[in-house]
Amino acid sequence: MKGTADAYAARKPGIRDWRRGAFVALCIAPAFAFLAAFMYYPIVETFRLSLMRSSGLGGEVFIGIQNYVRLFGDPEFLAGLSHVFSWAFWSVLIQLPLAFAVAFSLTFYMNKATGPLRVVYYLANILPSAITAMLGKFVFGPTNGIIASVASAFGIDWLRSVDFLGNPDIAFWTVFTVATWTYTGFPIVYLMARIEQIPREIREAAELDGATGWNYAVRIVLPAVSYPLRILAVLSVVGSLKLFDLPYLMTSGGPGNATVTLGITLYRQGFVNWQYGKASAIGVVIFVLSLAFTVAQFSWRAKEPE
Amino acid sequence: MKKALIVAAALAVLGIGSLYAAGGKDAGAAAGGKVKLTVWGRDLGDGEPDHAYVTALVKNFAAANPDIELDYIALGDPGLADKTKIAMAAGTGPDIFQSWGGSVMGGYADANRLLDLTAELKDVPGSAAASGAMSWKGKTYGVAPFFAIAGLYVNEGLFKANGLAVPKTIDELEKACDVFVAKNIQPFACGAKDKWPPLATYMYLTNRFGGDAFGSAQSRAGRFDADPFAKAAAKIQDWMKKGYFGPTPLGEAYGDAQQLMATGKAAMQVTGSWMCGQFSSKEFTDQTIGLYPFPVQAGGIGKETDVMGMTDIGFVATKLAEGKKAAVVRFLKYAMSAEAGAAEPGRISSVPGVKAPSKLTEMGAAIFGKAKMVQFWWDQDLPPNVTSPLNDTIQTFFLPQTDVKASLTSFEKLAEEAMGPAKK
Repeated sequence: MKGTADAYAARKPGIRDWRRGAFVALCIAPAFAFLAAFMYYPIVETFRLSLMRSSGLGGEVFIGIQNYVRLFGDPEFLAGLSHVFSWAFWSVLIQLPLAFAVAFSLTFYMNKATGPLRVVYYLANILPSAITAMLGKFVFGPTNGIIASVASAFGIDWLRSVDFLGNPDIAFWTVFTVATWTYTGFPIVYLMARIEQIPREIREAAELDGATGWNYAVRIVLPAVSYPLRILAVLSVVGSLKLFDLPYLMTSGGPGNATVTLGITLYRQGFVNWQYGKASAIGVVIFVLSLAFTVAQFSWRAKEPE
Repeated sequence: MKKALIVAAALAVLGIGSLYAAGGKDAGAAAGGKVKLTVWGRDLGDGEPDHAYVTALVKNFAAANPDIELDYIALGDPGLADKTKIAMAAGTGPDIFQSWGGSVMGGYADANRLLDLTAELKDVPGSAAASGAMSWKGKTYGVAPFFAIAGLYVNEGLFKANGLAVPKTIDELEKACDVFVAKNIQPFACGAKDKWPPLATYMYLTNRFGGDAFGSAQSRAGRFDADPFAKAAAKIQDWMKKGYFGPTPLGEAYGDAQQLMATGKAAMQVTGSWMCGQFSSKEFTDQTIGLYPFPVQAGGIGKETDVMGMTDIGFVATKLAEGKKAAVVRFLKYAMSAEAGAAEPGRISSVPGVKAPSKLTEMGAAIFGKAKMVQFWWDQDLPPNVTSPLNDTIQTFFLPQTDVKASLTSFEKLAEEAMGPAKK
């Protein structure tokens, strides 16, 4: 590649002059200006604000790292931090194996239903969060929810009295269940695409060698999709750190702090409590954690086998 | 190469030009020399009964004022609060926005984002409580055509069927609740999932136990974990344990609570008079519902005439409208007119001469009329940085394992950070 570039430069020596530089700069300028205005500046500003006491309406006061110190003594923030890590852990442990199982089944037993089923599984993923939350409430709601109605109709009192969204011991799992339904669609489609790339000859050879479906799944398909699974795991973790919409729409982070996430805490501090400094500090924490996992993702990418 | 450079430069100039054109347009000027007023509202102008006032206001004001182009943008809740906050921080926003007044409005006033209309609005007729809610530090920034009070909505049919009278004391209230629990009827519809709905109940209970304990804590003469607050919190927790709020109090949102009342599955609800229209509507409910003062506590300090309430619908002008003050004042005065208020099917009007549109509104207006003390919603009267924690704290009273005193002490610590230490 380098040789080609050198040869090109040798044939066109004038290309290196200032006009080339100016042209390149001009081409990059709009994109850079856009990124600078809408990405780099907000990031820098967020870092700056995280060191201030600010209501967002002027009168900022520099308070050093006090916002961070207060955050780590704030039960809501700590609950949010704990929940996003729990969410990430269980997403990787439940959603990804589930996605693999479905993706493998759909590709292994490929038939006329595979296409429609692929759409059905992915459909939940493209629904707006507001609709998903409404459906979740429609199922788990305490007054008119499907479960409560069925329990009432059949006289199952213990089930009727289960408060899926209002019991702090259950609410997290209720929201997570709805999330699993909606968020598993993407990994299924992604893994299916990868599994379908495995040459058919490999499966035929495995069958000739007497491999069962389980053996084929575990010894051939799983290693073949290990890299996509790692990427999906990282995406799940980063997505969990930024989680906001579904828990907010279903429970507003409650009851108490039972389903609060870092995103919900940030929203409350910034938009409801008028504490831009503290909200910015939460934003920085989310940014740093997301960056750490993104760096991990890139380092894994570097190790991907050719 | 030269040609490409020229093309790129031309594109850049065009891009900058279009950005300038988009941002440089005079937002105050409208076509045909009209003055353009931008109003951000919470209520949709969709003709639903509870939006009837806003719908008529926008339509009729535009018809009566052809020299003003009114751009009403409905943002809902919390959309209005969020967008206003962002816009105010950036020094942009509408000319007028819907507001409940109080400390949130006060925060904007302190930041010099609002238009002082004290002189222009001083002769606008309205209740003292309503104009008080739209004033901050002696200056008036807007109007409140409707004022909400919280009271005890009672399903009169259920009470009659069970041989019960409308409770006047908390003891009577508890006895009625026990009767309903025994008959598998939920005594209270609440909507604690949404956090803010139990506030009215908690405010009343605190008042009934300790009078103006809130005023004392707010002025920092007392603490937010003082006896009346703790007793009221313990009472809510006790009621929750006894099943007064039903089996799933934290799973029920405010909309669920409305449905429980509308369908006769719950006997009572403590909420604002904005529900008068819906609870009077035969399309919404077939139950007979009345609105009564919150009961008093035997031996307590708070009286029946101590009422909790605040602006129901209000409008505030921003500093951005300084150049079109006349148009703004015309809009605000029209919003306060009997003509505009006539479209409202349920809320309590602050404007003299507007007839109560329903029996429930009459009952609410009677409670408001007898009020000797009106306490604004705490979550609109405290500094914004403690209002969300306040509602979070109240929600925890619905959890059986919560130590309510400790919960209130945690809130007091937040209050100390925001408002300074209490004197005792």
